[in-house]
Amino acid sequence: MSDRILEEQGLVQRHTLVELTEHWAIAVSGIVLVFTGLFELPIAKRYYITDLPGMAWSGDFIFSLNLHYMASVIFIAASLFHVVYHGLLGEKGMLPKKGDLNESIQVIKSFFGKGEEPPFHKYLPEQRLAYIGMAFIIAGLILSGLVKTYKNLYAPDLSYPIVMLATWTHNVFFVLFILAFIAHMAAIIIKPNRPMVRGIFTGRVRLDYARHRHPLWMEEIADEGAATPARQLDLTDDEHQTADLSETDEEENNEPVSSAQEQEEKEPLS
Amino acid sequence: MSDKKNGISRRSFLKAAGGVTIAAGMGIPMPAHAKKPGAYATLIDLSLCDGCPHLDTPACVSSCRAKNIERIPGPVDPIPDPFPRGKIEDWSKDKDVVGRLTPYNWLFIQTAQVEQDGVKKTVHVPRRCMHCDNPACATICPFAANHKHATGAVVIDKDLCFGGAKCRTVCPWDIPQRQSGVGIYLDITPTLAGNGVMFKCDLCQDRLLQGKNPACVDACPQKAMLTGPREEIYKEAHRRAEEMNGSLYGEEENGGTSTLYVSPIPFDELNAAIEQGPGKPHLKPVTSKMAETAAFGNSVLLAPLVGLAAGIAAVKGASSKNRGEEKEKQENE
Repeated sequence: MSDRILEEQGLVQRHTLVELTEHWAIAVSGIVLVFTGLFELPIAKRYYITDLPGMAWSGDFIFSLNLHYMASVIFIAASLFHVVYHGLLGEKGMLPKKGDLNESIQVIKSFFGKGEEPPFHKYLPEQRLAYIGMAFIIAGLILSGLVKTYKNLYAPDLSYPIVMLATWTHNVFFVLFILAFIAHMAAIIIKPNRPMVRGIFTGRVRLDYARHRHPLWMEEIADEGAATPARQLDLTDDEHQTADLSETDEEENNEPVSSAQEQEEKEPLS
Repeated sequence: MSDKKNGISRRSFLKAAGGVTIAAGMGIPMPAHAKKPGAYATLIDLSLCDGCPHLDTPACVSSCRAKNIERIPGPVDPIPDPFPRGKIEDWSKDKDVVGRLTPYNWLFIQTAQVEQDGVKKTVHVPRRCMHCDNPACATICPFAANHKHATGAVVIDKDLCFGGAKCRTVCPWDIPQRQSGVGIYLDITPTLAGNGVMFKCDLCQDRLLQGKNPACVDACPQKAMLTGPREEIYKEAHRRAEEMNGSLYGEEENGGTSTLYVSPIPFDELNAAIEQGPGKPHLKPVTSKMAETAAFGNSVLLAPLVGLAAGIAAVKGASSKNRGEEKEKQENE
């Protein structure tokens, strides 16, 4: 049996430490980029944001730009790392598959009580589509941002059409990024998706949830056989304890996959 | 907001928070900007400018107004109230003002009463946009409505500008002037964002592209202003400064500009003697705004390489760990 399945704890390892680090580096730096980007518009002083305690800096465009640059370093490095690392390892679980669009519609319908969800791989079809969408937006932001940074430092007299294109790509993709972020947050509010939330914090999700909702992923794990995963989440003893403690929150852990499934799922866990 | 106090603490914060990032970016010096062939500069010789005492309005000012004033639109009536501050800047009823910079007046003459070798004299200083080498006003315009062109001219596109006045905030001399109630914001967000259009000298970019001098330069009866290829103008400015044992202003200011003032009177004395205030800029030394962002900006340009290298290193690390574990397993078996 794969080392990813922690039968005793009733958990399965969904994300490695590397993946969690990538996600949170991009998420936190992305949020800083959204705010410092907004403060590059002359709105902070106009809307009294500069008067809020600790927010005087929001009206200082040079300071905001430096913060924007600092967050960009993390955002760009983490994004490039993500592409290179998973690309070289041949990990394609997040890339869209044929039929994802139709399947996504089926899944969304099921959220409204119409029809059944199909069995999932590690990621939902709409997660794979959202991933490619977000990757496209992030790539657009990074490329246009790099052109803007180069212009700011080395070539203020860069050809005007290039500056115009980079600036407006950055602005439009900035809006798309905020919309995608809102959609991302909305997706985890949807009840059937909630058991995945603990995964992005701890790296692990409930085994019963995974077996019920992601049977194709569990099959893939099983196919890996007894092979030891190369990049297993290395938890210290303390972390193991924390993970164990979190299991005591029965209410949350037993978040039903669907109400009909609830009773059935609780049994193997107790 | 106490700018100085906040500025210092913010700078200290950046130094502390970004130690590593700065270290990565510091190695790369800020390059010279806009000094390519084709860039123009202007020399303003204060020993020659007499402020046109025989005219009601100095010739340079009149020629600038004659060329530009008709192109500057008048505001809608009433001008929408910019929410929530309601701060409207309307110069449309004061178009005749020539004693300061306004949206309708892009060049004016400052006068300084000074003493040289015990003799009282009046120095006239034509003031307009300096057309900086790396103008923060243009580089950080969120809509690219303001741009530094290859000619050296920094030009605001009045059809794209939202009038947020960010350019005036970052300009060391507060040069751009806002006219509320004109421009594209009226069609998009007339009350919630934007507040008009920013106006300032465009160095007669259209004339430069036709191989002509800016209107003010041609109009000056004293030939106190000279526009030409940047290198030649710089050379000439230095020659004149040396000849009159005078000073230069604009060569180092804000990291370098396309406007060099040559004066027999030191600029700190002139600065102390000129009237200053909104639309009446100072003549103090100015450090470069954009240079303050160089360390972090350079780090951004290096970030893709950092991510790339880290990704490759991590894959190598993972595969060697994998190999190690497999070997261990085989040995155990």
